[in-house]
Amino acid sequence: MAKKQSAQKEPQKPSLVPPIIASILSAIIPGLGQMLARAFKRGLTILLSFVTIAGLLAWRIYLEGRRYTDIKTIILKAFQFSPILRFVFILLIVLYLWIILDAYLTARKSNKGSRAYGSGLVFFILAVFFLLGWQIGDINMGEFFSQAGEALPTMGRLLWPWEKAVTRPEEILIISTTVQSPCTDVEYPTGEIKEDEPYLVTSPTCGNPTESDGTAGTEFTLIGGNFNPGQEVEIWWSDPIGNEFRQRQSGEYVKVMPDANGDFEIKVIMPYRLIPPVAGEGPKIWEVQGRQVQSVGKAQLSEELTLSVEKMIETIIIGMMATLFGVILAIPISFLAARNLMSQNFLTKSIYYFVRTVLNIVRSIEPLIWAIIATIIVGLGPFAGILALTLHSIAALAKMYSEAIEGIDQGPIEAVQATGANWFQTIVYAVIPQIVPPFISFTIYRWDINIRMSTVIGFVGGGGIGFLLQQWIRLLDYKSAGIAVWFITITVMILDNVSAEIREKYN
Amino acid sequence: MLEIKNLTKIYDDGTVALKNVSFTVPDGEFLVIIGLSGSGKSTLLRCINRLIEPTEGQVIWNGVDVTPLKGEELRQYRREIGMIFQHFNLVKRSSVLKNVMSGRLGYAKTLPSMIGKFSVEDQQKAKKTIERLNIQDQVNKRADELSGGQQQRVGIARALMQDPKMILADEPVASLDPVLAHSILSNLERLNQEDKITIICSLHYLDLVQRYASRVIGLRLGEIVYEGTKAQIMKLTDEEFKEIYGEEAERIGGNLIGTVKEG
Repeated sequence: MAKKQSAQKEPQKPSLVPPIIASILSAIIPGLGQMLARAFKRGLTILLSFVTIAGLLAWRIYLEGRRYTDIKTIILKAFQFSPILRFVFILLIVLYLWIILDAYLTARKSNKGSRAYGSGLVFFILAVFFLLGWQIGDINMGEFFSQAGEALPTMGRLLWPWEKAVTRPEEILIISTTVQSPCTDVEYPTGEIKEDEPYLVTSPTCGNPTESDGTAGTEFTLIGGNFNPGQEVEIWWSDPIGNEFRQRQSGEYVKVMPDANGDFEIKVIMPYRLIPPVAGEGPKIWEVQGRQVQSVGKAQLSEELTLSVEKMIETIIIGMMATLFGVILAIPISFLAARNLMSQNFLTKSIYYFVRTVLNIVRSIEPLIWAIIATIIVGLGPFAGILALTLHSIAALAKMYSEAIEGIDQGPIEAVQATGANWFQTIVYAVIPQIVPPFISFTIYRWDINIRMSTVIGFVGGGGIGFLLQQWIRLLDYKSAGIAVWFITITVMILDNVSAEIREKYN
Repeated sequence: MLEIKNLTKIYDDGTVALKNVSFTVPDGEFLVIIGLSGSGKSTLLRCINRLIEPTEGQVIWNGVDVTPLKGEELRQYRREIGMIFQHFNLVKRSSVLKNVMSGRLGYAKTLPSMIGKFSVEDQQKAKKTIERLNIQDQVNKRADELSGGQQQRVGIARALMQDPKMILADEPVASLDPVLAHSILSNLERLNQEDKITIICSLHYLDLVQRYASRVIGLRLGEIVYEGTKAQIMKLTDEEFKEIYGEEAERIGGNLIGTVKEG
């Protein structure tokens, strides 16, 4: 405040150059005129902004048109591919002219002893920056809205994944019959039609598989009966060497829904299968199956759910262990990083600056990066996550603790000393009550952050639920991922409230 | 009796806070020290109980030079002298009771006191002192939940727990409004008259000085520039008061005061 006032009181010195000259100078080097018109900072800002904008624009133009060789084509193609660049180019010219005009006005105002330069130019420069940012950031709102609809099913699975939280044990009913390939002179027998048991028969009973050149195989009519009504029947094949595979037709798995009596009829084309020589010469027997998957028994918690719970516990433990180790190591370090304790002599000051610098460096590297480094040393798993978070916690906590120590009020210490208290009593009565509440508050805050961080540290191999989440997302198993996301959200929300409550108490 | 002989304090940065100050305080006196901020009042009070080490000179308490005292001896000396402060210097996050009990630390055994255990007598003493200063309703509150006047009464209670023979009061009312100022100073006056506790108090307002002081010492740039008895103070005119304070004194709301700088 005081500084600002004194700056206002100081009279504005007249411009070093006449307004016209200022304009011309700014036309040669944008901002130079303003600098010489006694508005040095304004001129410098203008110069740096202009150079930056021009540089960014040139870079974007080059990127857009880099397939072409001569400069003119590069520029034209860039403007064609990205109309924003054309617009920014026009604005840059406007900016250039405005700077020249501004140099004139600034010099004139300085001569009149005024410092009240217009702020329109500053806003204009900002606007140009944001427009460039739009292009560099590849912002495409149209795509966002038009594609949002396609993401809805995935989002739905993420938001409501609970069908996957429960499973029932499954039992597969397999009813099969056999066909011969190729046909021979002897007619191959059909299957048996049964009265009260599921059965499957084919017609014809022999044929040829689809060829590798795409020639379609024999069409079989499959007739089934006494299947469980209302449950889909999958069609499977078992080739002559016993490999089972599901029937696909035009890209889709073949399935059929039996009627109320459990009967169905479906036409399938005998699929292509490379039969190895080991199968021998002559006609071979293929098996065709109708399969029904039945859920039997009680519903159980799914593996995804139990796994999520286990990993969530692991996650919380990672966060807690990291906080514990962080606190234990940060407390002694914080005393070395407290200015008021370390300003006695050159040695202590050197230690203070050294510790502070190391803490700042460690803190500026994200826990995710520390986790990657930790996995190199100790391999994948929760220990790597604990190491990474511990390291970051030490640095962050030591800084906050040392600030709490620096903020100690000397008054109560003096007052307790004046009562005749000894050193230990003074520490217990005047120092600890002042630092313990902020220490607790910072520690809880860190614990909160650590558990949040431990949910994602698994993405880089640091253990915990993040590892599962990342796997499921990569497998496009959004329902399982949804379960993990739900657990993370609930845990973090609970934690948030608890931590805020506790911190409130100690503030 | 307290005797100050040729007391000088020069801080590490070269500031001369006290220059060859000498005076005597008989038992039972209500001595008021006046002077601008930076005139050395706080330094003087802190040299008496050795919170600040004097550079030269002696502080003689009941015939014993306390300047060379160390360790246990120094603490036993300190516990005879209570101190109250402009900003109360309570441990803000601790309870009123704990703050009051901390006044007894000089008498308590180290280990039990560290876990907050005090003898039954000490606890009863705390109860009486708290009732005497009329803060019994606040005992379990945190110190920073109290009003300024209440906090200063906690400060006085803490000092009284020491069974002090003398109380040093460093601008005890400078952070309080005039009504509270009178209330706090009346408390000190009562201790002075009923318990015969010597009071050394630094003050700013002339009317307070005239009302409570039995003797006045004026400090300016670390030197004693005025000494007056009760009778002399009552006759003290604005002009003389201004002289003690230097040119910066001004009249505010009918009372002549020294310009109070922040802190």
